[in-house]
Amino acid sequence: MEICPVRQTILFLSEQIGPKGLSDPKGQRISEQILSLAEEIAEGAAGDRHLAAIDALVEEYDYKGSPLKTREAGKIVKGYLDEHREVFLSHIETRNCPSHDCGKLAPSPCQMACPAGIDVPTYLALIAQGKDAEAIEVIRRDNPLPWVCGLICTRPCEMMCVRARIDTPVSIKFLKAFAAERAMSDRAYKNPSPRPANGKKVCVVGAGPGGLSCAYYLALMGYKVRIIEDLPIPGGMLMVGIPRYRLPREVIDREVAMIEALGVEISYNTRFGTDVTKDDLEKDGYEAFFLAIGAHKAWDLGIQGEKDFPKVIEAVTFLKDVALGEHHAPGRRVVVIGGGNVAIDAARTSLRLGAEAVTIAYRRSRNQMPADVEEVEQAEEEGIEFSFLTIPKSIEGQGDEITALSCVKAELKKKKGSDRLAPVPIEGQDFTIPADAVISAIGQYVDDDGMDAFDGVNWTRRGTIEVNHASMETAQPGVFAAGDAVSGPATVIEAIGGGKRAAEAIDRYLKGIPQPRMPKIPVRYNTEPVIEMSASRKMTLKYPEMPMLNMDRRRTTFQQVELGYDEASVRAEASRCLRCDICRRCGECVDICRDKMGINALKLGYLEFDHNSPTDFRVTAENCITCGACAANCENKALVMDEKDGKRRLLLCGTVLNSQDIQYCDGCGAKMGSAEYTRFISRKTRNISPTTDSRLLCNNCQRRNGAASGAPDAPPPMA
Amino acid sequence: MEFQRGDKIEVFRKSSDEAWEPYMDDFLGCHGYITDPDTTVNDPDALIEISLEGKGTHRLPQDCLRLLADQEDTR
Repeated sequence: MEICPVRQTILFLSEQIGPKGLSDPKGQRISEQILSLAEEIAEGAAGDRHLAAIDALVEEYDYKGSPLKTREAGKIVKGYLDEHREVFLSHIETRNCPSHDCGKLAPSPCQMACPAGIDVPTYLALIAQGKDAEAIEVIRRDNPLPWVCGLICTRPCEMMCVRARIDTPVSIKFLKAFAAERAMSDRAYKNPSPRPANGKKVCVVGAGPGGLSCAYYLALMGYKVRIIEDLPIPGGMLMVGIPRYRLPREVIDREVAMIEALGVEISYNTRFGTDVTKDDLEKDGYEAFFLAIGAHKAWDLGIQGEKDFPKVIEAVTFLKDVALGEHHAPGRRVVVIGGGNVAIDAARTSLRLGAEAVTIAYRRSRNQMPADVEEVEQAEEEGIEFSFLTIPKSIEGQGDEITALSCVKAELKKKKGSDRLAPVPIEGQDFTIPADAVISAIGQYVDDDGMDAFDGVNWTRRGTIEVNHASMETAQPGVFAAGDAVSGPATVIEAIGGGKRAAEAIDRYLKGIPQPRMPKIPVRYNTEPVIEMSASRKMTLKYPEMPMLNMDRRRTTFQQVELGYDEASVRAEASRCLRCDICRRCGECVDICRDKMGINALKLGYLEFDHNSPTDFRVTAENCITCGACAANCENKALVMDEKDGKRRLLLCGTVLNSQDIQYCDGCGAKMGSAEYTRFISRKTRNISPTTDSRLLCNNCQRRNGAASGAPDAPPPMA
Repeated sequence: MEFQRGDKIEVFRKSSDEAWEPYMDDFLGCHGYITDPDTTVNDPDALIEISLEGKGTHRLPQDCLRLLADQEDTR
């Protein structure tokens, strides 16, 4: 893998000022000055003018009479800058180095994994300290809907959480929900100050998570934003696709109100292309359009009887109607066809509306269900039945009334030329599931109705809007898109991330700045102080159990099922974070302790992504001599040695790995290492420094004693 | 091939799918996890969400992904 260009520049300049480098003093001086600036870029300490200053210095290499080697060096540095300017800028703007070569800027895996790029370690550290409002401020720099995401995010961050390599990931999602709720309750959930109005207008089509995100960031940049929304309420699929027992309406309303408070105007019950057209908006001064129309249209089942009965319902329509106030049970015996989250939502909603029996019919087996495991388990707890390996054949009934879903049992077989198991009907194994309502939940697609005005936009073969994912720009200038309309039915956090990227791209478009080649690296905002705790506590803190609403209420009401953690659990869980924004897991400490010192005290099996072994922070104290070799070689100061209350301590991101009594010289009283350290040194030096005194003596006293007694003058070497 | 949430994968080749963009060439050889498989119909043609170590979270075609060997042993 290629080395980071910033690091490459630093290595090159270091050679130029070394003994085999440039011979002319001026060339050396220029190289030193550029090196100093480049090092600040690599450390996240650079300002807006660093690159310009380097550009000016590079020009100086070509001074009158400069040696050929100096001029060549100038060309090479200029080449690095020209070819990789975006990388240099990214280091300055984001304070992250994605290739990990600039150690201090190595991004944490959770932040990189978040499609919106939220600075997770920073906000977890703030939550651990009880600074909930500050945590929300950090989150909203990248995601304007922290409360919503705290309840329903699919949390890719937790999938990449390094703590999961030791035991379980940090419960990042629920901590976010707690902080948002507390900040809102304390009236401390605030909007940042927007830039002054710039007089430009942008139209957003769709008030779902992508549209809201784009509108929020554009409003902060000073744009006048109008959102066109077909529904009478905001939130898109958040509001009409996710049931209230998972995401209460008040949560969406409160966060949308914060966005509206920035001046974003939402036109409800307004269908783009019918109630308002692109021409109307352009005449009104709108210069850019953002399409976040979602994927609201359901696929047909394609089975006999599907169009013959009014009680064959599309899940998205059913969930929408319920969200808009239609609270009647779809039937007494309901069968939901599908295996995704929408199927689970439709089934659990039916149960809450009074259905007596609800069955989910799925073509494949349980472990192939695409729905979240937690959602499936909660559905089972509530009494939803599952019929796996079930292929629907037809819907049976009389008149307008459904009587049953006719099915055939399936087995999973590999089809010719494919290694994928597909459900194949087993001949003769037909059966029926009694039903008076059938809900189809086999997927949605993008409804392009009303998009005719965007005739320059290309559509993919999947029926989604084609964009450049770095900028969310479509083929039609000034038209951008994100969310499910681009990805197909996907996650809320992807839509939010896409909306944010689009806002930045729209700003660049309207200012005439070229768009980036690849999606921007997430921004690291701060490095919060670490939280000190013992190794035992760090290891024994456990992922808290989520308190749940009692089962009777879960089966009969739309009250929130997951009740949230109590405050003590939240603070403890946040402090379980390993602070991967500080420790970049390079493994240098482990190598030095094992190979150079021969001690092997650090059992940090979580460092590598692919090859993990057991980790126990408590084990370090068994062999560690507090020599400090690991800390001295830790580039990021993740490992530090300190002295506290007469003890020398080794800490990894705040976790006290070892603590040993400091000893004092019996001769002069000078401070010395721990007893373990002294013993280690004595063992190493016993052949060259014979014991001349039974007392504990420092180097100086040993030397004095040695001189007086004629013993060899060989103080113990320092580590 | 079908992927499930939590599967450990490698981007082992470029995809010929139209959804493959030039910047995705940087992902070749990277390892990561499936974070959001096709959540509806287990469609082998669907784009699925993966989180790659050091590269972030992206939605890619499935034909460029393979399960890592240690993962296959457990399936």
